[in-house]
Amino acid sequence: MSIYNKCSVVCAALLLTLQPFVWARIKLATLPQRERVEIQLDNGRYTLVEEERIVTLLKSTAQGNNLIDFAWSNTQIDKNSIQFRPLGISEGDKFRPIKKAKTAAGQEVDEVSVINVAYPPNENALVWEVYALEGCAVKVRVSYLIGNFNRIFSYRALANKDETLLTLKNFMKVQNYAGEDFGSAGVWAGFAERFEKWIGQQDEMLMLLQAFVDVPVKKTYLFDWYTYGQLNADKPFASRILMYYVLDNDKKNKMGLFPLQPGKARIFIQDGKGGEAFLGEDWARFTPIDDEMKLYLGEVQDVVCTRTIEKNERKTVRGNLFDQEIIVKYEIENFKDKPCTLRMLEQMNRIAQEYAGFSHGDVEWEKKIIGTSRDITFSYDDGGVLPVLQVELPARPKEKDKKVEKKIFRFHFTLKNMW
Amino acid sequence: MNKIFIFALFAMIFSASLWAGNIDLVTLPSREGVQLTIYNSEDITLVKEWRFITMKKGLNKLQFSWANTLIDPTSVEFRPVEHASEIEVADTTYPGQKPQHLIWNIRSQFEGQVKVEVMYFTSGLSWHMDYVAITNPEDTDMKFEGFVRVTNNSGEEYENAQVRLIVGKINLVEKIAELARRRGLQAPPQPPSEQYDDMEKESIMDAVSKAEAPMKRASGMLSSAPKAVVKEGLSEYFIFTIEGEETVPNGWSKRMRALKADDVKFDIVYRMRSFEYGPRPVRFLIWNNDEKHNLGDSPLPDGRVRIFRDNGRDGLSFLGEKDLNYVPIKAEIEVNIGEDDFVVYKALKMSSKRSNFHFYTSGSSEYVDGWDEEQNWAEEVRNYRDKPIVFELRRIWDGDVDYASEVKTTLFDYRTTEVKFTVPARGKNAIPARVVVHNGSNAKQSRVELKEGK
Repeated sequence: MSIYNKCSVVCAALLLTLQPFVWARIKLATLPQRERVEIQLDNGRYTLVEEERIVTLLKSTAQGNNLIDFAWSNTQIDKNSIQFRPLGISEGDKFRPIKKAKTAAGQEVDEVSVINVAYPPNENALVWEVYALEGCAVKVRVSYLIGNFNRIFSYRALANKDETLLTLKNFMKVQNYAGEDFGSAGVWAGFAERFEKWIGQQDEMLMLLQAFVDVPVKKTYLFDWYTYGQLNADKPFASRILMYYVLDNDKKNKMGLFPLQPGKARIFIQDGKGGEAFLGEDWARFTPIDDEMKLYLGEVQDVVCTRTIEKNERKTVRGNLFDQEIIVKYEIENFKDKPCTLRMLEQMNRIAQEYAGFSHGDVEWEKKIIGTSRDITFSYDDGGVLPVLQVELPARPKEKDKKVEKKIFRFHFTLKNMW
Repeated sequence: MNKIFIFALFAMIFSASLWAGNIDLVTLPSREGVQLTIYNSEDITLVKEWRFITMKKGLNKLQFSWANTLIDPTSVEFRPVEHASEIEVADTTYPGQKPQHLIWNIRSQFEGQVKVEVMYFTSGLSWHMDYVAITNPEDTDMKFEGFVRVTNNSGEEYENAQVRLIVGKINLVEKIAELARRRGLQAPPQPPSEQYDDMEKESIMDAVSKAEAPMKRASGMLSSAPKAVVKEGLSEYFIFTIEGEETVPNGWSKRMRALKADDVKFDIVYRMRSFEYGPRPVRFLIWNNDEKHNLGDSPLPDGRVRIFRDNGRDGLSFLGEKDLNYVPIKAEIEVNIGEDDFVVYKALKMSSKRSNFHFYTSGSSEYVDGWDEEQNWAEEVRNYRDKPIVFELRRIWDGDVDYASEVKTTLFDYRTTEVKFTVPARGKNAIPARVVVHNGSNAKQSRVELKEGK
C-alpha cells in the first residue's frame, strides 16, 4: 500500500468481545491491501470506485463478530454511498461463492455477512461488523462514490489536405483530485476500451478512447442571414459565412460505435509536406449515433454571398388577410480554387415578421416552382420553417483573364394567410 | 457515559428546605434493560427503562436526573412493574434549584425489591432508511436491500437497547427538543393542544405497548448471528423491530439491513415529458412492493435508493439515486435514473397551414379574428440498445386542439396526449401527428380532442 493512501481498511484481528472496545476506537488490526481497483466513469455525474481486498475473518461466537474499520481523510467519499460486499471465500488458490449454511443452532445463514455498519462521530470512518460462520479469508469489494475525480472528453481531428477524409481521435482525460492514490486501477468510461493505469493523487491522465480513421468528412459553408448578420459595412447585403466539418456518427461512415460526448475538439489539417497546420477548435456537442457532429472552423472569406429581396408583393385575400410573394436573390462568388457547397438557412418566421409584421405563430409558406432556381436542393432537418437551400459553386477560373463567375440563385415563395 | 440516573434517597427528607441543602444519601440502581422506540416523522423517541429498586413501607423518595440530555421533563413517568397495586406515586416535584431533576414521592405498602419502569420522550435519536438495488447485466432482475440507520445525538448512551422503529406520521403540537430546553413560566397550553397532546401521547403509548411481542421474541437471539428486522403493522403505523439488542453510543450512528430481496423483476420504461423531465427522454426502473416482486412484507419508509448495475465486467456501474417517498404495500416504485445516451427523441414541426378564417366587420373593413392552424409533426424515437424498449410520450397542447395520429393515442388529461409503444432493438419508431389548433374566435374550448385518421 502506498504511503499516500488515505483510504484504508483495517480488519480487527480480535473478535469484538465487548462493545466499548469498539467505541473507544482502540484498534489491533491487520491492513488488508487493495487487490484490485476499478474506477467507473460511466455515469457523467458520479465516479464510482470499487476496490477489492482480502480480509481474514475469525469465526463468530456468541460473544462477538469481526470488525472491519474503513477510514479516509482528505478525500471526498460520499459516506452514505459506501457498500461492502463479501464476494467469495478462499478455497485453495481460488475464491468460491459464499453459500448458505446452518449454524450449530440450526439457523440458516450466509457463511459471511455484514451485520451492521457503525459510524463514529466526527470521523471519516465506519466500522462493519461482519459475521463469519467459520474462520476464513474472504475477498470483499468496497464500493463508494467519490468527488473530485472527473472525466473530460476531447477530440483531435486531422483532415487530409483535400479535406475529404478526417481522422478523429476521441480522448478521455481523468483528473484525480480526490485526494487518494489509487495505484494501479482499471478505468472505464462506460464505452470503448477499459484501461489499466497507475493513477496517483493529483494525476491527470489523457487516454485515447477511440480513433476513427479516415472518416469521410463534408466541409460545409453555412450562410444564415438572421443569425450571423452582415459581413461588413462595405457589403451590407452580404452575410458572414461559417465553415464546418460535418461528420456522420454512423457505421456507414466508419463511426457509430457509441454516442460522442461533449468536449473540446482541436482541428488540424495535413499540409502535404508531412506536417500539420492548426485550423482551429470548437466545442463538440453531444452527438447520438446516426447524428451529425458539426465542428466549426471559422469564417470563410473566399466565398461571398449577397442576399437581396428582389420581390415583395402583397395580395389581399379578404379583409385584412393577405398573401405575400417574396423572391430572395442570392449572388454568390467563390474565390476559392476548389468547388464548394454553400448551405443557406432561411428563417421563414423572421422573414414574415420583417416583411409582413406577422406574429401569429409559425408562418405558412409555399415554395414557387416557377422563379425558384432549379439547382437549389432543399432540406428540412430543422423543421418546416427553417429550410436549408444547398447550392454547388464552381472553383474560381484558372485562366488569368477570366473573372470569378457570380452565380445567381433565386428562392421564390409565398407567405400565406397573414394579417 | 450515562447521564440519566435514579437515586433512591435514604436520608428521609421531610422538608423542602432540607432538600435545598443537598444532603443526599443515595444508591444508584442501574438499568436492567432499555427499549427505544424511535419515530422517523418527528424528532421523538419513547424510552422505556427498567430498574430494580428496594422499597420500604411508607414514603419513599426517588430522584430522577437527566443532565445534558434532551428529555422532555413533562413526559417522564414512573410505573411499578411488580406490586403495582401496592405502590403509587403520591406526587412529583421538580426542584427549582436543580434543573433536569425530579423527585417522586412514592407511597408503598410493599417492602422489598421491585422492578420499576421509567418512561419518557427524548429527542436527538433518529432513524432513516436507505436502499440499494443492484440490477443484473440483462436489466431484468435486481437485488434489493433496505437498511435502517439509527443515529444517537441525544446526549445519552443507550447500551444493549431493544430498538424499535416506527414508520408513519404522527402529530406533535410541541417539539420534544423545545420542551427539553424549556424552563420557567410557560403560557398556559391552548385547549386543543392539550387535548391533542394527551391523545397523541396515549396513542403512542398504546401502539408501543401492543408491540411488545416481537421484541420479546427477538430478545432471545444470539448477538453475533445475522439479525433480522421484524416488521409488524399496528394501527396506521408499522413497527420495525431489530432483533436482539443494539448499542448506539452518543454521537454514533448504526446501519443495519432491514430487508433483502433477490430476483426482483423490474421493467424499464423510457418517458419523454419535456414539461416534467426536460428535453431528453429519461429512463425509469419500475417495480412493485408486493409478493410477486419478492417484497411486500411492509411499507417502504422514506429513504434514498441508490441503483447500481452489474456491468458484466466483474464490477458495478452507478445508475443513479433518488429519494424514495413512503411506498405502501403493493404500491408501485418508480425510480428515474436519468437520460440514456442510447435512446434519442426528436420532434420537428414540418409545416403549418391556416384555414377556416373568421372575420369581424368594422365599418366596411373585415378583420381576421378566428382561424385554424394545421400543424404536421414528425416525431421519432431511435433505440440503440440491444433490446426493445417501452417508450411513453406525453405532450401538452394549449388551446382548442384536434389531434390525429396513425399511432394509437390516448389522453392523459384534458390537454395532454399520451402515446405508448415499443421501439425495437436497434430500431426506430416514427410518430407522425396532425394537429389542428383553433385560434381566436374559432377556439371554443381549451382541451385536446382526439380525432380519427392520419
